[in-house]
Amino acid sequence: MRTLLSKIRAIFSKQRLDDDFNTELEAHIAMLTDENLRRGFSPDEARRAAILAIGGVTRVKEERREGRSFTVIEAFFKDLRYAVRMLLKNPGFTLVAVITLALGIGVNTTLFTAFNAVALKPLPVRDPYNVVRLERWFENGNHGDVQYAFSYPEYVHFNQQNQAFSSLTAVSWPEPVLAALASGSTETLHARLVSANYFPDLGVTAFLGRTFLPEEDQIPGAHPVMMLSYALWRDRFHSDPNALGQIIKVNDTSFTIVGVAPEEFIGTGIPSIVPDFWTPIMMQAQLTPGQNWLDNPLDQRFQILARPKPGISVKQAQAEIAGLQQRFTQLHPSRNRTLTVTLELAHYLPNTNDPRFQVIVGLMMIVVGMVLFIACANLANMLLARSAARRKELTVRLALGAGRSRLIRQLLTESTLIAVLGGISGLFLSIWASKVLWLAIQQWLQGPFGPGAAFLVSLSPDSRVFTYTLLISIATGILFGLSPALRFSRVDLTSGLKDEATAFGQRLDRSRLRSFLIAGQIATSLMLLITAGLLVRGLVRSQAVDPGYETRSVYLVSFNYGSDAAKALAIQRRAIDRLRELPQVRSVTLTGGIPMAGTTSQEVQSDDTRSKSFSSDTLLARVAPQYFETLGIPLLNGRNFTPQEMDRGAPVAIISELTARQMWPDENPLGRHFKLQDRVGRTTGPWVQYDVIGVAKSVRTANLSRLDPMMLYLPIRPASLENILMRTEGDPKIALAAVRSTLESIDRNIPPSLQLISLEQGPLHFEKVQARIWAMSAMSLAVLALALATVGIYGVMSYLVSQQTREIGILMALGATARDVLRSVILQGLRPVFIGSVFGLAGAVAITSLLRATLIFASSPDFLYGVRMFDPVTFLGLSALLALVALLASAIPAWRAIKVDPMIALRYE
Amino acid sequence: MSEVLQGTLDLMVLKTLDTMGTLHGYGIARRIEQVSEDCIQLNQGTIYPSLLRLEQKGWISSKWGVSENNRKAKFYSLTRAGQKQLVREAESWQKISGVIGRLLASPK
Repeated sequence: MRTLLSKIRAIFSKQRLDDDFNTELEAHIAMLTDENLRRGFSPDEARRAAILAIGGVTRVKEERREGRSFTVIEAFFKDLRYAVRMLLKNPGFTLVAVITLALGIGVNTTLFTAFNAVALKPLPVRDPYNVVRLERWFENGNHGDVQYAFSYPEYVHFNQQNQAFSSLTAVSWPEPVLAALASGSTETLHARLVSANYFPDLGVTAFLGRTFLPEEDQIPGAHPVMMLSYALWRDRFHSDPNALGQIIKVNDTSFTIVGVAPEEFIGTGIPSIVPDFWTPIMMQAQLTPGQNWLDNPLDQRFQILARPKPGISVKQAQAEIAGLQQRFTQLHPSRNRTLTVTLELAHYLPNTNDPRFQVIVGLMMIVVGMVLFIACANLANMLLARSAARRKELTVRLALGAGRSRLIRQLLTESTLIAVLGGISGLFLSIWASKVLWLAIQQWLQGPFGPGAAFLVSLSPDSRVFTYTLLISIATGILFGLSPALRFSRVDLTSGLKDEATAFGQRLDRSRLRSFLIAGQIATSLMLLITAGLLVRGLVRSQAVDPGYETRSVYLVSFNYGSDAAKALAIQRRAIDRLRELPQVRSVTLTGGIPMAGTTSQEVQSDDTRSKSFSSDTLLARVAPQYFETLGIPLLNGRNFTPQEMDRGAPVAIISELTARQMWPDENPLGRHFKLQDRVGRTTGPWVQYDVIGVAKSVRTANLSRLDPMMLYLPIRPASLENILMRTEGDPKIALAAVRSTLESIDRNIPPSLQLISLEQGPLHFEKVQARIWAMSAMSLAVLALALATVGIYGVMSYLVSQQTREIGILMALGATARDVLRSVILQGLRPVFIGSVFGLAGAVAITSLLRATLIFASSPDFLYGVRMFDPVTFLGLSALLALVALLASAIPAWRAIKVDPMIALRYE
Repeated sequence: MSEVLQGTLDLMVLKTLDTMGTLHGYGIARRIEQVSEDCIQLNQGTIYPSLLRLEQKGWISSKWGVSENNRKAKFYSLTRAGQKQLVREAESWQKISGVIGRLLASPK
């Protein structure tokens, strides 16, 4: 330990210690000399003998120095100084190298920042690594958000019976509600119901005012209080502290603002949306009128976040909660039994341990990793070229006795320094890029959802991001520096010093590595280019694609119905009847699902098919008979629902064309049967048999990217408060004005909360934005890859040509024509390009097959929008583009070479 | 004449300082040669790495001073930790040399 300290100290006082030792050694020699003089030596001889006796001054000094400190570290600092000098001497090289790496590392860091924000960062609560989320596992294998949902009675049961947790808190999913602000404006806000202990037990204190009190969450409907999110308070109340005590009217209930959450509290995720306000669970009936979430033991509505007591392991806590859940299941049996309950560390995103999520993240990591690979290959090539130019210097150092390992260390220090500089610039680039990206995404989302629905915003880098960037920087530094370092520290001294053997003798050997690097770059960029090309073609299609139904003149009509369920139903029915009378309104319908705004999918079974036991995942929509007319979806066969069937809730169904083709190919589907499990909310009931009465044209409702592979229309449940869709005729402005005044004549309270959004402006917009984001990211990565690869090819070709100037001069002196030389140089450059293209094409096929493989779910999007997997235009066109770029990159240096006067070329060097 | 056995030089330096008190590098080297009755031809330079090692471990300390013929020189002396270390090392040396002695003395 003492030795270590003394050695560390020695690093910093090298000069003084050296001087000290010189004095000491000099004294020693002087004393020896004195003695030798006494023995009768001549003065000169006396000193020489003295130096011999101590074994040489330099050697003693060296030995002493090695013992004094860590030679490795001292050498490192020396290397570092030397590396800095070398980089400053070649500012152009350094700049290109750093920029190349900054781009490569920047995209990697950006992706990691996003991944970190959603999957690694802890929640913004006190002691976040101690907060777990309960996750249930269903017998039928249902996956996803439903696994985190628990009923209120379940929560109460856990809360009262458990011994293992110091607290259990409940929070609902965000519920969109229409809220009337004091300023008179009405808008859709997102609210989450929380247990009173949610804020205190998670360690979140109010920024203004207070959080909820225990008594506010005991009697249903008794305490209409709310806490605002910081964003809502800032944007809607202009950060006015007097917002406290003000009223926001939600449905018919006036909620009092009692507090504002701190800015950094962006909720606890699932989904990653910052709610606009929170309110106690006991206010559920006022927030979502007509529903009762508090008493039904099977109505699973709440996520449970918990803290195990100190000293209790997650395993023990999990065992206890699983046991409690078993008991609850015995008391309240449901068809879809919960097998067990587990605990997972609470993050923003659910199912981060789901292999599917990990595969997607892994794929994206591979893609950005490829960009980094191209950057590294470029640098390796640049370093190869440069160390070839430094051959003489390196040879001299070896000849003077520098060890090979010492030389490798020196060269690696240089490359790592470049990499770290690149990493730092990359980090800044990524901070900037994620900001721009985020602003762009929010801008796009602003339209349909308004500022309320902000996604999680904490993309600021933390120590994890810094570590990640540092590690990949050092790794890349070693990766691209190692092969040049190894190669050039093994120089044949004589030929290295003689200098001229280089151009002919060593070229063959070195060009193999170079060709490999070029081929790798070409393969990687072609792969990225083709994938991006397909996505962009998909994007172009998505902007022009016809969903198969009317979107511009179809409006979603939503307004506040009040909290009295019976009254609400009456108002809605009256509103529909009155709207139908308007001449500007062509058709009005009730529907359970809105196209492009979320899907319901369920398992369908049938023993009425040729294969006897048909079973598949299908999309499902409960609609009124007017649905098809309103959206303009033609019925191809059979008939529509009758109003009587709707009122009875008759088990009849209209199926889409594609569904018919899949279940009953070449047969008449009318009159056939299938079975579905009845489902209300999150609970499932018995199997019900349905008769097929009609076939509708297939359209796109789940995703704009493809026709719904399977779609079943069932009659809407009688007496249910569902969405109203309306199709206008003529000038929409006039029509909407007429709609407004008609609704006002029904109830004066409607207009303040009325919202009319067309399918085009609303859900469809979001779909298109999504496609745009995918394609844009893919395209920018591909352009980046192409640019880097072009720079790489150009650099290598210029270097090769400059190395061969003499050779070319000789060839031309011997009578070779400019064309011969040009051809030979270009061919030499294009061979690795060709090999790389073959591998790139194969890789692109693999990636597109993977994209295809996502289509197995009924509701999953087709990222390619029906572009064929091996689209020849994209594949061949982009290969040709890349070949052209490579050709240009190698032609320019070649052209320069043949311009050279043979005489000058021969004297070159 | 023989070379100094690896690792024994440190012990010799410690013992020398223990016997002679404060001494400079030249003195130490000279003293070892004298005691060995010129059995050991010390490469005098080698005692400097040894001195550095001992000082880093805190067993000896050093001060600048002036030698008997008025030269600036560094003087080394044993610290308390060094004295303890000397006792320990001397013991283990005795033990090992005893073992080696017996091994060599045992009949064929």
